[in-house]
Amino acid sequence: MSIEVRGVSRSFGNYAALRDVSLDVKEGELVALLGPSGSGKTTLLRIIAGLDFPDRGSVWLDAEDATNRSARDRRVGFVFQHYALFRHMTVLENVAFGLTVRRRRERPPRSEIERRVHELLALVQLEGLAGRFPSQLSGGQRQRVALARALAVQPRVLLLDEPFGALDARVRRELRRWLRRLHDEIGITSVFVTHDQEEALELADRVVVMHEGRIEQIGTPAEVYHEPATRFVTEFLGEVNVFRARIEDGRAWLGGAGHPLNTRSAGPSRHAAVYVRPHMLDLDRGPESHGAISAEVVRIHAAGPTVRIELTTEVGDRLIADLPQERFESLKLVPHELVFVRPRGPRVFSEDYSI
Amino acid sequence: MRLALTAAALGFLALFLVLPLVTVFVYAFSEGLRVYAAALAEPDARAAVGLTLVTAAFSVPLNTAFGVAAAWAIARFRFPGRSLLVSLIDLPFAISPVVSGLIFVLLFGMQGLFGPWLVEHGVRILFAVPGIVLATLFVTFPFVARELIPLMQEQGSDEELAAVSLGASGWQMFWRVTLPNIRFGLLYGVVLVNARAMGEFGAVSVVSGHVRGLTNTVPLHVEILYNEYHTAAAFSVASLLAGLALVTLVAKQLLEWRIGRKGRAA
Repeated sequence: MSIEVRGVSRSFGNYAALRDVSLDVKEGELVALLGPSGSGKTTLLRIIAGLDFPDRGSVWLDAEDATNRSARDRRVGFVFQHYALFRHMTVLENVAFGLTVRRRRERPPRSEIERRVHELLALVQLEGLAGRFPSQLSGGQRQRVALARALAVQPRVLLLDEPFGALDARVRRELRRWLRRLHDEIGITSVFVTHDQEEALELADRVVVMHEGRIEQIGTPAEVYHEPATRFVTEFLGEVNVFRARIEDGRAWLGGAGHPLNTRSAGPSRHAAVYVRPHMLDLDRGPESHGAISAEVVRIHAAGPTVRIELTTEVGDRLIADLPQERFESLKLVPHELVFVRPRGPRVFSEDYSI
Repeated sequence: MRLALTAAALGFLALFLVLPLVTVFVYAFSEGLRVYAAALAEPDARAAVGLTLVTAAFSVPLNTAFGVAAAWAIARFRFPGRSLLVSLIDLPFAISPVVSGLIFVLLFGMQGLFGPWLVEHGVRILFAVPGIVLATLFVTFPFVARELIPLMQEQGSDEELAAVSLGASGWQMFWRVTLPNIRFGLLYGVVLVNARAMGEFGAVSVVSGHVRGLTNTVPLHVEILYNEYHTAAAFSVASLLAGLALVTLVAKQLLEWRIGRKGRAA
């Protein structure tokens, strides 16, 4: 089922959680709502689920206006951040809940319900635990019970609020891959909320980056990572080096090289921020090449797939560069050495000091 | 040091709690089993027990329903007047029971707000069973709500929302998710309401009128017997209330133990 959010705003008292947000999710897509806490991502998810209602705007499910429909009638599967399993029910009763509360005419017979529940428990790999209570399960197991419970009612959409937030790192990575496989298997339209950019980039077909109640950018993981549309997206999607530059003739000048601006309109600003990811910084010992800046090597971390170099520029800015092992070995860098840093493929945004 | 403190606490407990309780039973049986049985079998005593049971039979279910509704509204929703409601719930705890009784006299007495209208229509509230029930309802109102509000706030509404998103109706959500989650807290509140409803003296004393065999509850009957120097009979009837207190204590302990265990398990 497709989801369409049109111009939704929502305030809590004086606090604007969502400001005029619009979003399209296509049938069968897996979309991540990514943003820091307070960016409105969970509020948006709850509005799609019908657990909260917008002050303005509308929500369309399968080209049908669902704005005023209650969560009960939307046939949306919702997985809560802390799972919200019914604590006094067994795993079996939890998963069966959505089927047993149906009106008598629509309710499948008991044997059918049991068959469906066991099928779902097999799907989430928890067959042996049907008789356990939630308090007797690990975090990862609870998470999968919550998922099976949401899927039991055959929802048209699956919504997950920070699905891996409460798990430790190893379980989180495992479960992430497992969820992606599950999604490919059953092909249900899914939206999940996360504050972890790695999770969003690895798992989602498309990423929606949110900030202060607005959508900053919507795009594939590659698009938002390599071509971030705003300064916020650039900073949020991973470590990044920032250079201050002057704008002249519509270009940002850094170390003698002019970089085109990525901001739609430069505005009256005369200052620009030039963003470069650590692996896009080239280090060289040779003579000052076009567009290079000199910097001093401060520290070298050689453990890991790449070598991380910390540097300081002449004006005191700190930089991080990730070099491939071979490049590092051929350069033979040592601390306190002066090198030349050249940014590749920078993202340039004009700085607006008036805000 | 710890030994001394423990001894002091236990000594205090023995002096002010256990000793009076023992005294009640000692005096009750001081003139033998026959006098004890006769005091309880006497028609006025039986009427008092009956009235007390009737009062509790009204107060417990009504205040359970009111308490759950109030706690739910306060724990789950933000609405204008919410904090006023929270303080109103505490009102019966804050004022003296005698004042609670006087409120009803001011409302329904001959010189009261609704008094003349009630007389005209032949409805008796004051110095009759309805007045006693109303006063008891008022005094016992806070127990259930007070018990449930923190519990429901702590549990949060996620499980209820999960039930709704799975297709449950409001009632299904209440009976299958909300109620099972608060059941021990609710039972605890009910036990307290019952104990207070049966034992209330001040408010009931003001509105009852002390008509023997008609508007005397057990605590009022005990007072009358005592004032008339029927010491053994007074203590015999009082032993019923003391017994109720013991049962309440045990029930309260069991429930606290259940709630505590549930809390840790979750």
